[in-house]
Formats: sequence, structure tokens, C-alpha cells
Amino acid sequence: MIEATGALLGAPATDASADEYEAVDGLARADIECQRAHEAIAAKKTASDYQHIVWAYGVLWSLFAIYGVMLWRRGQRLGADVQALSARIDRA
Amino acid sequence: MNRAIPVVLLLFAAAVFPLSVKTIFLDVGIERQLGTAQKIFYYHVPMAWIMMLFGVVCGIAAGVQLRRESRLAEAIAIAAGELVIVTGLGVLITGPIWGHASWGKAWTWDARQVSTGLLWLVFVAYVMVRRYGAAGSERLAAALAIFGAIDVPIIYYAVKIWKTTHPSNNVVGSLPPEMWAALWPGLGALVATCIALVMVRTRQELTEMNLDDAWVRAEELGEAGAKGATT
Repeated sequence: MIEATGALLGAPATDASADEYEAVDGLARADIECQRAHEAIAAKKTASDYQHIVWAYGVLWSLFAIYGVMLWRRGQRLGADVQALSARIDRA
Repeated sequence: MNRAIPVVLLLFAAAVFPLSVKTIFLDVGIERQLGTAQKIFYYHVPMAWIMMLFGVVCGIAAGVQLRRESRLAEAIAIAAGELVIVTGLGVLITGPIWGHASWGKAWTWDARQVSTGLLWLVFVAYVMVRRYGAAGSERLAAALAIFGAIDVPIIYYAVKIWKTTHPSNNVVGSLPPEMWAALWPGLGALVATCIALVMVRTRQELTEMNLDDAWVRAEELGEAGAKGATT
């Protein structure tokens, strides 16, 4: 497997392995390493971006949820107030 | 006011929201310059539009309340003012999160950020005066709401008047169709949610005003009844 990778990366093939492995044109080790480095940077940036997205969406919908709960509690309080008023009128 | 409308709007939002998330994260590609973090745009920008819309609604309703002393206008102004605080907070939090990801800096003190922050503070002041102000403070509160509404065009034109880190207003108009297709469901879900919340809050405020009046009448009735019993 290691030998195969070496062939893929364009490592100079020895005479003994020349029959088994053939170097792939255009895939020099430096190019592959450069590509992997770019992929690592992109993966890191994407992971960071997704973290920001989760925070942004989480905050946003939490705000609506909190406001919704506040409205629901206000509704409960108003309902209790109406009942108290009804009782007060009945007493009067 | 029909009680079913907010429920229908919230059900619509609940149905559209998953579609919006699916479109944003699975259908639209990653924007070339801003990367994956650009997906915050699909909720940040509609929130900013809704914040500005309800800022204007609050200012107009407060103006009508000042002139005609309309209870409905007063209730709408209070509900819209509270929603400006909620959506404004959303904009002021998601914006810096996006800025941190894209610009490397959460807050750059650019004109649009500052004017948005100012709008939020003005509406916080409006709601505080409405809630804790003494009798007669409604006029001061209404003036604050009108001042807040005037800030809305300043936010919109800030990127034209001053040099800012925010992109120009033309960016949204020049979006490719696939991005618009992702923007619409999120915008629809948010607008439906916000209208439903404003309707519920308006009805609560009207109920509260009517309850206050009813309590005063009930007290008067009780006192009259007590006097009648003693004489």
C-alpha cells in the first residue's frame, strides 16, 4: 500500500518495482501535498463556518422561542385577570 | 380580529421552515467569495427587512395614536415595537457572527451597524417608556417611535452615503435565481411568524386596556353597591 502511494505520488520507481508500478503523470508529490494543504484549509474554514451558522440560527430561533413563551405567559396572566374580574363582578 | 389567522400563519411558517433549511443547506451551492458562512445571509437579511418594516409600522401607528388617540393604533405600535426589539436583536447578533466568519471581525463600527444599533436602542427606549412611564408618557413614547421610524431610511441608505464594510443595496437584487429560491421560503416563514406574533401581542394589549377599564368600572360598581347597602 505504501509502495503504491509512493508510485501515485510520483516517487522515483526503482528498477525492481518498475514492472509492478507505473508512475502517474501529472501527480507530483509537491502537487498532491499542495492540494491536501488546500483541502485542510478549506475543511477548517468550512468547519468554522458551520459553527458560526449553528450559532446564528440557534440564536435567531431561540429569540423567537423566548418571545413566544413570553407572549404565552402574558396570555395566561390575562386569563387569570379576567377570571379575577368575573369573580369581583359576581361579588358586587 | 380573527383568532384563527395567527394560528394559520404559524402553521404555514412551521411547514415552510424545514423547506427553507433544506433549500439553503442542500440545494444552494457554496458562495465563491464568502464561503459556507454566507448561508447566514438567508435569515440575517430577511430579519433586517422585517425589523425595518415593523419599525415603520410602529412609527406610523404611534403617529396615528398621537393624532386620533386610537387604542388599536396604540396596541399595534406596542406590538410592532416589541417585534423590532426581537428582530433587531437577531440582526445585531447574526450580523457580527457572520462578520466574524467572513471579515474576521465581528463589529467594524460601520454606518449600517451603528444605525441599526441606534434603531434597536430607540425601540428599547420606546417599549421601556410605554411600560414604565408615568401617565402622559405615551406622547414621549410615540415621539420616540416616530424618531425610530425615521432611522429606517438612514439604515437603508447608509451603505450609499458612507463607506461601509457592508455590501451595497444592489447585491440582493443581483442574486442568482438559485439564491432567490433559497431566500423566499426563509423570508416567508419569518414574515408569517412575525405577523402572527404581532397580531397575538396586539390582541393581548387591547385585552389589557379593556381589562383595566373593566376593573375601574368594577371597583366603582363595588363602591356604589357598598354605599347602597349602608344607606
